[in-house]
Amino acid sequence: MLDASEGYTTEDGRKIGGVVMEMKNITLRFGGVVAIQDISFDIREGEIRAIIGPNGAGKSSMLNVISGFYNPQEGEVWYKGAKRPPMKPYEVARQGIARTFQNIALFEGMSVLDNVMTGRIRQMKAGMLAQAIWKGKAEREEVENREVVEKIIDFLEIQHIRKTPVGRLPYGLKKRVELARALAAEPSILLLDEPMAGMNVEEKEDMSRFVLDVNDEFGTTIALIEHDMGVVMDLSDRVVVMDYGKKIGDGTPDEVRNNQAVIDAYLGVAHD
Amino acid sequence: MPEQLVFAMEVFLNGLMAGVLYALVALGFVLIYKASGIFNYAQGVMALFSALTLVGIMEGQVPFAHLINAIFGTEIHHFGWHVPALLAILFTMAVMVGLAWVVNKLIFRHLVNQEPIILFMATIGLAYFLEGFGDIMWGADIKKLDVGLPQGINTWIDESTFNIFDYGFFIDNLDIVATVVAALLVTALVIFAQYTKQGRAMRAVADDHQAALSVGISLNFIWVMVWSVAGFVALVAGIMWGTKSGVQFSLSLIALKALPVLMLGGFTSIPGAIVGGLIIGVGEKLFEFAIGPLVGGATENWFAYVLALIFLVFRPQGLFGEKIIERV
Amino acid sequence: MAQSPQAAGGFASIPALLQRNASAFGSKAAYREKEYGIWQSWSWSDTEKEIEALALGFLNLGVNEGDFIAVIGRNRPYFYWAIVAAQSVGAIPVPLYQDSAAEEMAYVMEHCGARFAVVEDQEQVDKLIEIQDGLHQFEHMIYIDPRGMRKYDHHKLHQFSHVQEQGRAAHEEFIGDLKARREKLDYSSICVMLYTSGTTGRPKGVVLSNRNIIEASKSSSEFDTLGPGEEVLAYLPMAWVGDFIFSIGQAYWTGFCVNCPENADTMMHDLREIGPTYYFAPPRVFENQLTNVMIRMEDAGRFKQWLFHKFMAHARKVGPAILDGQPVGFMDKLKYGLGNLLVYGPLKDTLGLGRVRVGYTAGEAIGPEIFDFYRSLGINLKQLYGQTEASVFITLQPDGGVRSDTVGVPAPGVEIKIADNGEVFYRSPGTFEYYYKNEESTKSTKDEEGWVATGDAGFFDDETGQLRIIDRAKDVGKMADGAMFAPKYVENKLKFFPNILEAVLFGNQREECTAFINIDLNAVGNWAERNNIGYASYQELAGHPKVLETIKSHVEDVNRSLADDPMLAHCQVHRFLVLHKELDADDGEMTRTRKVRRGVISEKFEDLLGALYDGSDEIYTTTEVTYEDGRKGSISATLKIVDAAVSPVERAKVAAE
Repeated sequence: MLDASEGYTTEDGRKIGGVVMEMKNITLRFGGVVAIQDISFDIREGEIRAIIGPNGAGKSSMLNVISGFYNPQEGEVWYKGAKRPPMKPYEVARQGIARTFQNIALFEGMSVLDNVMTGRIRQMKAGMLAQAIWKGKAEREEVENREVVEKIIDFLEIQHIRKTPVGRLPYGLKKRVELARALAAEPSILLLDEPMAGMNVEEKEDMSRFVLDVNDEFGTTIALIEHDMGVVMDLSDRVVVMDYGKKIGDGTPDEVRNNQAVIDAYLGVAHD
Repeated sequence: MPEQLVFAMEVFLNGLMAGVLYALVALGFVLIYKASGIFNYAQGVMALFSALTLVGIMEGQVPFAHLINAIFGTEIHHFGWHVPALLAILFTMAVMVGLAWVVNKLIFRHLVNQEPIILFMATIGLAYFLEGFGDIMWGADIKKLDVGLPQGINTWIDESTFNIFDYGFFIDNLDIVATVVAALLVTALVIFAQYTKQGRAMRAVADDHQAALSVGISLNFIWVMVWSVAGFVALVAGIMWGTKSGVQFSLSLIALKALPVLMLGGFTSIPGAIVGGLIIGVGEKLFEFAIGPLVGGATENWFAYVLALIFLVFRPQGLFGEKIIERV
Repeated sequence: MAQSPQAAGGFASIPALLQRNASAFGSKAAYREKEYGIWQSWSWSDTEKEIEALALGFLNLGVNEGDFIAVIGRNRPYFYWAIVAAQSVGAIPVPLYQDSAAEEMAYVMEHCGARFAVVEDQEQVDKLIEIQDGLHQFEHMIYIDPRGMRKYDHHKLHQFSHVQEQGRAAHEEFIGDLKARREKLDYSSICVMLYTSGTTGRPKGVVLSNRNIIEASKSSSEFDTLGPGEEVLAYLPMAWVGDFIFSIGQAYWTGFCVNCPENADTMMHDLREIGPTYYFAPPRVFENQLTNVMIRMEDAGRFKQWLFHKFMAHARKVGPAILDGQPVGFMDKLKYGLGNLLVYGPLKDTLGLGRVRVGYTAGEAIGPEIFDFYRSLGINLKQLYGQTEASVFITLQPDGGVRSDTVGVPAPGVEIKIADNGEVFYRSPGTFEYYYKNEESTKSTKDEEGWVATGDAGFFDDETGQLRIIDRAKDVGKMADGAMFAPKYVENKLKFFPNILEAVLFGNQREECTAFINIDLNAVGNWAERNNIGYASYQELAGHPKVLETIKSHVEDVNRSLADDPMLAHCQVHRFLVLHKELDADDGEMTRTRKVRRGVISEKFEDLLGALYDGSDEIYTTTEVTYEDGRKGSISATLKIVDAAVSPVERAKVAAE
């Protein structure tokens, strides 16, 4: 098994660091319904960590716990070596955890550039008064942030739609813009909620390439949930498998693939 | 030049000036609507409230004097000092920000993700509350507001038009000031919304709450900010109208005039509010001038609403509103 | 052979011109490229330094004189530098089409025996790695974009900027060698080798000398008085001779600035921002732009539409005359001026053509309406006729002598003769040296006196004295009764309709003509949307009865106009079908430059062709297609065959012998 403090090296030579986030015995209930039951796992620096499971397994709930949209009734979230108190989603975001949404949550009326720029809010320090008084400083800050954003726009190959209002874009490109906005925050952890949902084969391949490239180029830690098994197995370093709110497997794709509980869950549950 | 045409020109100019004031009120509506999706029925009352507060502070009125006197049998009305206009405006602004904070804390925080109609009802409640509250706080009598803005006929325009047309136009200095102030305000707001971090955050919140949260924007902060800005716009409108026709209850009725302006201009467009205001202002003055005598006058009371109605039939999204597309 | 023995102005090579520009235009912009949303620019002296560093880096890597260096990527300053750096060290640059499939690339790389390749990014590197086992001489690869490349084995793989750094570091060691090699270059040394895509057979390597390129650039620049102040946008494939002449030949001769778009998708934005003064685009681009304008006008408000149509009608009336400097009434001029303020000016700016002083189109026939549209706006759009073997220029239209159905007068220094069968021959200082490793083709194309066969059939127009091209000489066939069969001419007429993207005419050795037609998804899709016609796929739209109806009316229009021309009246289309898929270069149905491959098509769609001639009403067919990622699949459809009305004509009597 893995050593908790040391990192490890993947087959393709990437260095994976220590634990950056740890979920300890998380339980989440909605009224009487238990969405997540006593789940623990960790995320290491620089790895691509997947949470998979059939529909309704509680994957999205887990992602929402990580990003602060839900606060669990029981259990602890440890982030960068400290226990995290219950937080608002925007506070979690400011701690450097960026996310995308399964159904895409973009600012439809704003241009692609403005959307991606909102991702930099964490890094923009100048307050309202300061912007009025020290105009130069605020401008410099804007320019510096714009430079970062332009690199990301270039990286994700969306230059041609820079000025286009997001509402006019097709689905696949919106997904990419959302990824760009999350990346603009230069997050410590990037959470991707079903990044391939609703995509055709070609778009899925593109998105997989971007996810791998992001991880490779920026060393970003990525946690993603997905129910397309094939995609996940190719992408991730380690996989958590959930079913009916419980964890039924955790390990490398190969380990998970040969896990009997996982096989049963996937064969026993109809999923599309 | 025929006399009628010259008169019409004067009416036109006066209409433009009136339109600017309509636009100013409408602007407050648009701001809140764009940022939070709330149609703020209380915008007019906010203008009234801010004007009352401003007069109260300037005159050194004791707030809740009637209430205090009634309970304690005292006879206090004034602190006995006068506050300079500029300082009073700053104080009033602080009160409006405080109001924004309280409104958000007590009402709208609890209504997150509610239907627009519920939010609208809440603002109706807010309007009546604020109206009564203003009464109790500052008294119900008509007050004169003078923050030192120039008033009365602009002699330069009067003379120069007289030289050209043999007829001097009557244009009020206050209207000219109002126009300039409105122009500055709009420019400032546009710069704020388009080019500052907070402006971008504000637009983001208006667009998608969830997404805004996910990039680290605090909704509460933005909402307080938006209500404060709307309060500021209300204050400016309150000063202009208050100076023009005294601070009185009817000030809150101007808000109703903003409604046809918004229908014309579109609820989501800042330029729409301005152009809509100007069209209504000019339209009703010219209509009164040309058709009024034929139908017995007082067309100004209903012209704007009829125009808005016609617009609703042919272009429901307004002149500048986002196109309403029904996907089948 | 008419060749000036002396190099023009004493500059016998592109590297020599580079040095002249660096001293004559030092701080003037030579290259711009939009990157990270900002236009980056390099002056001529920057350019000289960049190229020198790269050339030194090449020497450091062991490039020998006479080596071939492949250049594969979209238009970027780095690639243009690579070309000139290769020339500077006595190597021969070979630009390739970056979207070629691996196997096409393999053929060319092996044919020229390239030892080095300068490529853009991981995609191209992967492609070359895939084929490198079959390439015997291939050694080093230099890439520009390092993204995703960290994990690759870097023994024979180098980053562009590192090669330059190493070159700078080894300045002392190699500068002497570099200078010596540069000085050796003369008018007859090879400037570049360009592969022609060729409608049939394997691509051929056209060897062009410095003499070819510089003479052609010089005389064409003088023809249109191009100066160092011009701005061009480099967006056409670097492997195409046109781009080589515009972005290197003429740019280095005159010293003008070459602007590179951010990427292929941003080209229209970038065009608008740069506002080129000298612009080339194939007819297809002008067509697309016009279609987009028309689509946007359909969505515009009523007043805007009225204004647009009103003033465009006026522009069509007097615009071309004003452009040609012919006398026009004062009121007409005034109205045109107003139109320029309200419509033409803003429209030209939107199109990015507001500053164009000299514009050219070539490669295909351009629709007369399209051509006139641009000219009536006041854009000096002209036509030229050329080919790789001529270093582009064979004929050019002079200012004031522009027609939509001719291709101009012989370019300065070009002689033209027309053979008995109508084929056009030329010779000029720009005429290529030879086809690389292909003596046979060289001999059959260029005779001892230097005359080159163009393969096109044409004649000089009596009225204007300009050349008119009808068709490919070998495509001009005979129908069963001996009448002339000129497919391209008819296809072009069909393609002038915005709804028709491609057309393929059949009729050689047959009684009557028939056609395959491809609809234009953009135009027809828009039309469908406006008329509430739902469709789920290209195939469904192409088979829609209303679409067929529209296409039929287009075909009948063409038939009517053909009937007026006694030479071509019998080429009227009797029956046609609308294809269920777009003809695609990936499926081999078209060349990379989007010319239809008649032979491939008639073989591949043999069943459909049969149905056109056996009188059936419809036919079921299955076709293999290649997706963009290289996977193959198949689609099947039942296609309707439509009979079109033909106008009665008296068949030209064929001399019975």
